[in-house]
Amino acid sequence: MDCMSLLGVGVCAPDPDFRANLPFPAFAINRETIPPLLRRRSSQAMQMAFSAASAACEQAQRSPSSLPAIFASVAGEINTTDQICNQLVKTDGVMSPSAFHNSVQNTAAGYWSIAQQCTQPATALAAGSDTLAMALLEAWCQLACQGGELLLVCYDEAWPGYLVPGCGNPAFAYALLLAAGTVDGRLMQISRPQVGESIFPADWTDSVNSMPILAAIPLLEAALTGRVPQAIALSPHMPGWQVHAGVASAYPKTGDGEKWR
Amino acid sequence: MRISPLISPVAVTAYQCVSAGGDDVDALYASLLANRPCLKPLNLFDIPFDTVVGEVTSALPDIRRDLQTYNSRNARLALKALEQGGFRAEVERAVALYGATRVGLILGTSTSGIYDSENAYARLQQDGVMPDNFYFTKVQTAQATAEFLQLELGLQGPCYAISTACSSSAKALAAAQRLLVTDCCDAVLVAGVDSLCRLTLRGFNSLQLISADACRPMDAGRQGINIGEGAALLLLEKPSADNTDRPRLLAVGESSDAHHMSAPHPEGLGAASAMAQALRLAGRDVSEVDYINLHATASTLNDLAEARAVASVFANPPPCSGVKGLLGHTLGAAGALEVVVSLLALERGFLPGTCGLQMPDPECRFPLVTAPELNVSPRLILSNAFGFGGNNASVLLEAA
Repeated sequence: MDCMSLLGVGVCAPDPDFRANLPFPAFAINRETIPPLLRRRSSQAMQMAFSAASAACEQAQRSPSSLPAIFASVAGEINTTDQICNQLVKTDGVMSPSAFHNSVQNTAAGYWSIAQQCTQPATALAAGSDTLAMALLEAWCQLACQGGELLLVCYDEAWPGYLVPGCGNPAFAYALLLAAGTVDGRLMQISRPQVGESIFPADWTDSVNSMPILAAIPLLEAALTGRVPQAIALSPHMPGWQVHAGVASAYPKTGDGEKWR
Repeated sequence: MRISPLISPVAVTAYQCVSAGGDDVDALYASLLANRPCLKPLNLFDIPFDTVVGEVTSALPDIRRDLQTYNSRNARLALKALEQGGFRAEVERAVALYGATRVGLILGTSTSGIYDSENAYARLQQDGVMPDNFYFTKVQTAQATAEFLQLELGLQGPCYAISTACSSSAKALAAAQRLLVTDCCDAVLVAGVDSLCRLTLRGFNSLQLISADACRPMDAGRQGINIGEGAALLLLEKPSADNTDRPRLLAVGESSDAHHMSAPHPEGLGAASAMAQALRLAGRDVSEVDYINLHATASTLNDLAEARAVASVFANPPPCSGVKGLLGHTLGAAGALEVVVSLLALERGFLPGTCGLQMPDPECRFPLVTAPELNVSPRLILSNAFGFGGNNASVLLEAA
């Protein structure tokens, strides 16, 4: 496999001020994407993940019911987990069964498969400040092994402030619909993630250090504006994980792709 | 005629584990042959109900000074497994052979270091702030123990955690195999690590799934599950002339139930699909499977769904058993730990028993191994792991 093709993107940024400052279009949570029975109890994480995932599928005109899915998040269902931990301290603390099963990292992945009636594999992944890079690598490996298409959703809801003072916001989610190889209708081509020396935009470094899931801002900017640099940093680390990218003819032909691996 | 595989096999060049069954694979092997529950009342913390657990009660090693920010019970369980039977030396051999950037690390965990976070929350409620020595992203978030192991071992390849509840470390094996066959890595350390904690004990109790006594998987009189803890480490490498004598990971079948967050599909459709997918990916026929290590948690719904899944995939099912009556359900570690059990069965020539089984549920229409069977040589083994969210994985292993 020379590259992945990006066929659809959805970006969800619930905070309107943060959204207004992004260099590409994003939207608020779209509750219509959450099945009515799940709306009341779903976390911000799940609502954002569903909103972004639905938008990416819609843009690519793909049915979610047939797509394997990778859900990646630094802290997962952190607010549900936090509420449980506060209860566990008390001798008479209450633990609800639904809070428990909604605290697992694959909560969004599980509900997505149920809501879409999708029996394809769903994975939940975490890699701290390299969560985006490792999610893209997992996507690469799945597509290289199995071909076809998949849905990658990265998200983090805002963390309780006392966990890492000054960190853990704003909430943010994005979904990428990816296909193996070069596919018509692509927004851009993405190489296998590798370690390199691409420089992460200084304007966003502080934000990403505070909320690692924001590391996709350069990648999303390239995909949504069409201004695609040759290499895109996936974290502020130096050296750090990066991808090469391209649009149409700018992406190296088969064979040249080898040197990017 | 053999169908060609859709994914290349990888070699399992080393494996170790620590669990209630003992501090290394030899101790686990002895426990498997003895087939007596290693489940005892909980020692680590207080809980407001009766149960027994698969607790690691031997001393855990200290995290070295420069990695103290990663200190958690989960990380210490992983470190303990790393120090057993020359496993660390095997990883160091791989690093020397391939280079640190070519050795990846995939962790499967559901708890991460939440046990230590629970202790920190006690301080939060007392003092209004988390304690100074609490590092959220190095203790609690799912990748924490992966990062610890990477730094402890000086690995520089890809490093991430899969956290899909009780299928986590089975799916970590799938991710590791893909990293090898796509040439992203030459070796991958897979770690399945989960520790006992209040969250999972009280969580499963809230679901009314905890048994007060030692659990009885697939038994007509089962009363629920017991929780365990453990760390299982497996070193996977590309097949080569140097490792032809090592067992093979052929494929991991993965699927989603798309049914319910905490209950399996009643007919076991997702479980059946995962088993069938493992065989399909490996190009093997159902008739070739010699033994199935069942997920068999001893929850009624899970056991029945799995029993129906086995019956639907296998016209003539091979011998099956489950080890959670011995070790407890180690949740995120279960996939990797029970693959270690299955590798012992392949390499030492036996079939594990089903500790706690007295009267098989009549729905289990397959040969259930009650007491360990010795002097057998299984060649092909399926090992199942199914989790919340209807997240299923089935690991297919072959003897060298």
